[in-house]
Amino acid sequence: MSSVLDVVLSSAFLAAVLRVATPYLLAAFGGLVAERAGVSNIALEGQMLSAACTGALVAGYSHSVALGAVCGVAVATLLGVLLAALRLELGADVIIAGIGINLLASGATAYAVYTLLDDKGGTSGLKSGTLPTVTLPGIQHVPVVGDVVSGQNLVAWLAFLAAPFVAWLFFRTRFGFHLRAVGEMPDAAASVGIPVRRVQYAGLALSGALSGLAGVFLSMGYVSFFVRDMTAGRGFIALAAVFLGGLRPWGVFLAALGFGAAEALAVQLGTLDVPPQLVSTIPYAMTLVALAVYAWRRKRRGAAGEVATASL
Amino acid sequence: MRYGRSAAVAVTGILALTACGGSDGADSGAASSGKPRIKLVINGGLGDKSFFDSAYEGLKKAEKDLGYELKVVELGSDRTKWEPGFEDAASADDYDILAAGTFEVTEYIGELAPQFPDKKFWLFDAPVDYSGKNGACSNKCENVYSVTFKQNEGGYLAGFLAEKLVAAKSLKGAESLKKVGVMPGVKIPVIEDFVVGFRAGFKDAGGKNSDVLVQYVGGDKPFGDPAKGKEISTSMYGQGAALVWPVAGLSGLGTFESAVTAKRYTFGVDSDQYQTLTDQAQKNTVVTSILKNVGTALYKAAQADQKDSLKYGAVDTVGLAEDAVGYVDDDHFRELVPEKTRNEVQEAADKVKSGSVTVPSAF
Repeated sequence: MSSVLDVVLSSAFLAAVLRVATPYLLAAFGGLVAERAGVSNIALEGQMLSAACTGALVAGYSHSVALGAVCGVAVATLLGVLLAALRLELGADVIIAGIGINLLASGATAYAVYTLLDDKGGTSGLKSGTLPTVTLPGIQHVPVVGDVVSGQNLVAWLAFLAAPFVAWLFFRTRFGFHLRAVGEMPDAAASVGIPVRRVQYAGLALSGALSGLAGVFLSMGYVSFFVRDMTAGRGFIALAAVFLGGLRPWGVFLAALGFGAAEALAVQLGTLDVPPQLVSTIPYAMTLVALAVYAWRRKRRGAAGEVATASL
Repeated sequence: MRYGRSAAVAVTGILALTACGGSDGADSGAASSGKPRIKLVINGGLGDKSFFDSAYEGLKKAEKDLGYELKVVELGSDRTKWEPGFEDAASADDYDILAAGTFEVTEYIGELAPQFPDKKFWLFDAPVDYSGKNGACSNKCENVYSVTFKQNEGGYLAGFLAEKLVAAKSLKGAESLKKVGVMPGVKIPVIEDFVVGFRAGFKDAGGKNSDVLVQYVGGDKPFGDPAKGKEISTSMYGQGAALVWPVAGLSGLGTFESAVTAKRYTFGVDSDQYQTLTDQAQKNTVVTSILKNVGTALYKAAQADQKDSLKYGAVDTVGLAEDAVGYVDDDHFRELVPEKTRNEVQEAADKVKSGSVTVPSAF
């Protein structure tokens, strides 16, 4: 047992938590923004995947990591707008439309990679590079913290800055007030002159951009290539974090960080004498617990909960 | 209800039309050539740089050298599409031999083979249940040829080599390290067989079992999540592993990246990964690759089938002695591994081949 404690308290473990949590954090904030705008973004997974693929391909061909990242995020943003258009213009069921985007992303990315590189697995044959790591000057001398945060990818820093950003956006800006009003009660928002559709389009675009950043991190930070379906369900875990966090920025932050910690723990425990089947259930078991806790909390909130459900 | 039924009829009709259209087109093409037609049905995708790619290469060679005609169907990683995918593939009359691999498809082959008795089925890396006791194989699968691999023998050599390398301190930059890591995709018999063999080889070479770190990728995509593969490998290098051997398809690509960062070493698996990797820094980490020559086995099957000497209705188990399993001995290997160690590994391989050493198995 002491070896488990040693593992959990090591700076290598904490650094791993930050790495593993980064895609969860960004995608979860993407899901949160959409959810608060009244449109469930179940397409997080597909947006991440498209961004990961676009980022690696563009960076590989243009030899510019920055351009790759920008294009990746742009594609995911467009998919956010597409989801909004399917919902708002054509009245599509947002869940079905989201699933459709996920399937499209899975097929289209594999097809694009195969067409361009004649490789059905991924872009590992293409040198695309990674986004830079950031080390604040002097911080590496701070005990523990220095080891943990030094050398983290730029996107990991952005993921952690996303929490205060989203909190500020929701509660300190005009757009945030409008977004929440539209999400809670679109008719009431419209009656006081808030442009409901425009706000929802903007919300979904921002949602796509955030999950796009998560995808770019996977293929241009975590590893330096794209592999077919490499998101491996991370978008859905992020969605669980949105609800576990009670649709609140700091709640979602803690939930996503919790999922990251669970997965990093599973990685660290893997070499100890714990059955691997048990270890690999940790993140999933946590998701189930999370959803149960969410349901219980919603029940307790009663009437307020009904409003939230109505806005789904 | 009424609408539901008519919709169902319409959908069935459309499916039937497309299915007929597909098989008609293929039929006319094949009838003109008259070559035996192989259809490789993959429960996953090509591009894994190891297992399925190897099968594909072998059959492509059979197409080129032996005059077969090859068609590939990729069913993707969504398991719910596998069963209907196999049914469609088997019922379309555009093939003579249906080839498929992995233990996950044994059930489908066991059910389909009796339904199409005039077709041949080749199943690689797993046997069908020839006894026919569990519902499948009602005709004792007498039209199915199964080939399985003694991957435990490959694992044995990997473990043996790994311990010899760390004991002789011959890995530059990792001289002080005693531990080695294995990163299998999931704990299933065919993968565990590699691990059991690895442990046995490591021990026979004089290593301690506690110096072998084993960690499974698991999760949603055990063979397609390189980010997780990288995280796990980084963790194993952090715990003092001199080398990590991924047995996890595309997840293993993460291992090669983390080896570059950690300045440590790797082994490849299934295919010669020194050849399949493109980044020179990553290539340099690959000491050798433990080959599982799925492609060669299929090529041999194609050769035997032309002479009518392929044994249907039975399992063929091939290993080191048949050159179906082995390790890569190339310039890079000779550069990293001292001659003494190379000879020791060769001796160990000879002992396994001759049968004087029996490698334990997960089966």
